[in-house]
Parts: sequence; C-alpha cells; structure tokens
Amino acid sequence: MRTTTEKGTKRYVAGFYLLLLGGWQTLFSLQLIPDYLFPSPLQVGERLWELGRDGLLWPSVSATLMRMTIGFSAAAGLGLVVGVVMGMNHVLNQCLRSLFLGLQTLPTAAWVPISLLLFGLSDRGIYFVIVMSSVAAVAIATSDGILHIPPLHLRAARTLGTPGYAMPLRVILPAALPGIVTGVKLGWTLGWHGAVSAELIKSSVGLGYLLYMGRELNDVAQVLGIMMLTILFGLLLDRFLFGQIERRIRTRWGLTSQS
Amino acid sequence: MQPPAAPDHPPSAEPAPAPPGVKLRLANVSKVFRNNEQTIEALAPVSLEIREGEFVVLFGPSGCGKSTLLNLIAGFDAPTTGEITLEGRRVRRPGNDRLMMFQEHALFPWLNVLDNVTYGLRWLPNFRFHPLRRRRRAMELLKLVRLDEFAHASIHELSGGMKQRAALARALAPDPKLLLIDEPFPALDALVRAKLYGELQDILVRTRKTIVSVTHDSREAACLGDRVVVFTKRPGRIKAEIKVDMPRPRDINAAAVTAYAAQIAAQLEEEPRENDDGKRD
Repeated sequence: MRTTTEKGTKRYVAGFYLLLLGGWQTLFSLQLIPDYLFPSPLQVGERLWELGRDGLLWPSVSATLMRMTIGFSAAAGLGLVVGVVMGMNHVLNQCLRSLFLGLQTLPTAAWVPISLLLFGLSDRGIYFVIVMSSVAAVAIATSDGILHIPPLHLRAARTLGTPGYAMPLRVILPAALPGIVTGVKLGWTLGWHGAVSAELIKSSVGLGYLLYMGRELNDVAQVLGIMMLTILFGLLLDRFLFGQIERRIRTRWGLTSQS
Repeated sequence: MQPPAAPDHPPSAEPAPAPPGVKLRLANVSKVFRNNEQTIEALAPVSLEIREGEFVVLFGPSGCGKSTLLNLIAGFDAPTTGEITLEGRRVRRPGNDRLMMFQEHALFPWLNVLDNVTYGLRWLPNFRFHPLRRRRRAMELLKLVRLDEFAHASIHELSGGMKQRAALARALAPDPKLLLIDEPFPALDALVRAKLYGELQDILVRTRKTIVSVTHDSREAACLGDRVVVFTKRPGRIKAEIKVDMPRPRDINAAAVTAYAAQIAAQLEEEPRENDDGKRD
C-alpha cells in the first residue's frame, strides 16, 4: 500500500520535472526573450557537454568536492568538539550559543571579503570560508543533541557502572547522534554555499569559478548549466548521502513513526 | 539449564560488618525535596531490612515515595536523613552492585542486543580487558531470557516483551548484589505481562537475586513479592508489611494471588480519607 503510493508520488515528481523542462523549452520556442539571455534546456546541456569535452568541467567539479571534503571535515571535527564541550557545560553553552546564532545570521558569502584580506587568493581562504560557514551549525546541533539526550539513557549508563571519563565517548556522543547528524547535514549545505561563493571570487578552478567565467563571457547557458550542476551535487550529497545516514540512524534510535 | 556462573566482584575496599543475612539496610532514611519556595516531604523516615535472596515489593499509591526510595537505594539521589548500607557499605552513588531496571527498557539504541548486555560487564575488573569473556557471559544471559537468536538484532527490531527481557539480561549480566526494578513491564499488554511475570520468577529462582521492586498494582505485588511493604501517601511511610507465603512460580491470575492482592490493597483502603497527617496509627 505504502510502496504503491510512494511509487505514484515519484511518478508525479518525475512528471513535474518533465513539465518544467517542457515549459522552459516552450517558453524558449516562443522567442519572447532573445536566446543569448534565455537559452533552451538543450543549449544548456550542449554547453555543459562542451565544457566536459574541453576538460574544463570535471577538474572544477572535483576541485570543489575536494575543497568541501577537506574544509568540511575540519569544520565537522571542530564543531563536534566545541558542541560536546557546549553540551556539557551550561555557562559555556549560553555564551557560545548566542555568538554562534549571531554568526549564523551572516550570509555565507559575507565571509569572502575577510578571507580575501586574511589569506589572499590562496585555497586556504576557501577552506576558511567553508569552516566559518558550517562550524556553528554543527556545534549548535551537537550541543542541542546532547541536551536532548533522554535522561533515562544517562541514568541507565550510570547504574550500569559507567565511569565518568567514559561517558562522552560511550554514551553521550552516541546518544546525541541523531541531533549531530542533522547538524552535519545542515552544516554541509551551508559549507557548500560558502565554497561556491568563495570560488566565485578567488579561484581558478571550481564550480564557482565556472559560474564567474560564464558571467565574464556573457554565456548564460554556462551560468545556468553550472547552477544546475551545483544544485545537483548539493542535492545528491544532502539527500542521498547525509539523508540516508540520517534516516538509518533515526530508524535505529526508534525516532521514526514506522515500526 | 544451569544458572550462569556469577562473575566475581572486586574485593570490597572496607570489610563488611553487616549482620548475617541482611543485604540491604535502611536506617531512618527520609527525603525532603526543596526548591525555591516549596518543601516537599516525599518520604518520612523509613527503616527496613532486606535479606539475602529476598524479593521485596514496595507497594503504594503514586506519590507515596516508593520510587523516591528506589532512587535513593540506586544512589541517584542522596537521602536527607538516615543511611543506606549494602552489605555494610554505605551507598553514595549509582553503581553496578545495585542495578536498576527502569519502567522503560532503557536499552541503548546505538548498540545491538548483545552489546547492550556486554556493556555493563566492561566496567568490571574481571571483564575489563576480556572481550571474549564478556561475550560468553552475555550469551549465557541471552540464552536465559531466550534471546540468544536475537543477539545481533538492533533494539528497534525487538517487540516490547523482548526489549524487557533484553533489559533484564543486561541488568543481570554484571551479577549485581541487588536488583532494583521500577514498575516491572508497565508498557506491555496484559497477556505479555502475565507471561513475563512467570519468566521473571523463573529466572529469579534460578539466579537467587535479592530484589527490590516498586509497584502500584496489588496483583503484581502479590505475584512477585516474598514480602510486600505497603506505603501510605505523602509523606510516604510504611503502613504494613505482608509476607506472601506461596510457592513459585506464581500465576498472576491464580486465586491465591488474588486473595493476597485483596489483602494488600485492603491496607490502603483503611487509610483515613481526611488529611490528618496519618497520626491515627
């Protein structure tokens, strides 16, 4: 029953995207806007294909993903440690939480100018933007996850004789995992924003750089194509990598409604 | 089936000057909760002795301080006055010599069934660096509660009754001197509960554990207890003690259990309705 409706929904979603593409193509065919401002989906695809053929696309995709892997690993590690400390110390939590919530209101692109000043045009500046964009989200989610651990688990751990030094790794971190994963997922998205923003200005390779090049060349097809690619990769990792991990953890922790 | 061999506890730091046979001694234990403006006397001074191998049920209406008392014995909370001693040593903090089973199963979802049972063994010197020994001991207990085939299952894959049995295995694994049970199996339906009562008694007869349990169900008290201690309401104090002299295992639906349950429940009904601070007795 559930699977058939799910299948049906998927069909609708696929249909929706086909309709979107069809509408786009129709709008293009009506020639209301000149095609150098409004390319067809086919032209966008063609441009991406050309970029790929010329060996410009893949190095950029892998460069951005590589920067994210390194930068976000650092951010997640840092956020996790800070979050655990916050979760275990009430005063520190109150202090850092307000600071981090403030930092989170800052658009990720706003970290680019300061990183230019601090690091110039080097890759380190991009890492800096990624870390600053995502570390607060991970830290806050981790501390929230810790503060929302069911007291029952802590009591069970204590009656089972868990010594204090073993609590963080054996009990607190695993018990807080569902919250932490949510934070990591959000942090990844923010870091992804930050990475592409930083590449727009200070890079010679990467998805952001290709966007910037497209603008320089007045190539709307390239700009749209890279935008779509950026969405695609962001979505793939968010939905299918982190989303899957999150779903499995929530099921295992008994947090989903399905039995 | 043989009862699992008891793991050795570390030799106690102090010699135990306990009177022979007495496992747990409560001497004038009371608890007063204070917050900003309120002072709530949850438990009037209570004295009680629990002997080796005895199953004592603390019975009373909600708010009679029986759960408070259980928390004090477990060491989650400190008594306002009085002293709790286990084998002559004073109880100060939670520990695996007084393992508590909670109303909910409280199994760790990040560990599978087997790892939940080995978890408590990790902190015992005899098992500290012996993962294989831990595993062997855990498997014995899982056999005892008939969950050995589910050793590698995740917690969310178990039914409610299986979770409670896994929790029992986890609590018995470190061979605690005292097992504390806060409302056995409240979240289960009647059929599963009746079955679990039987199994619990069966296992307890075999392992000869000393147990303190808390309930507000007189039938459950009659079915499980060797001795039922009846508590009155706010502040909790002991009203009566009833010895339940019946062979085990007892069926929760047996007529004799019903008779004892009535006798236990009657103790509460005699309680004065007016709030005269229970000064009549």
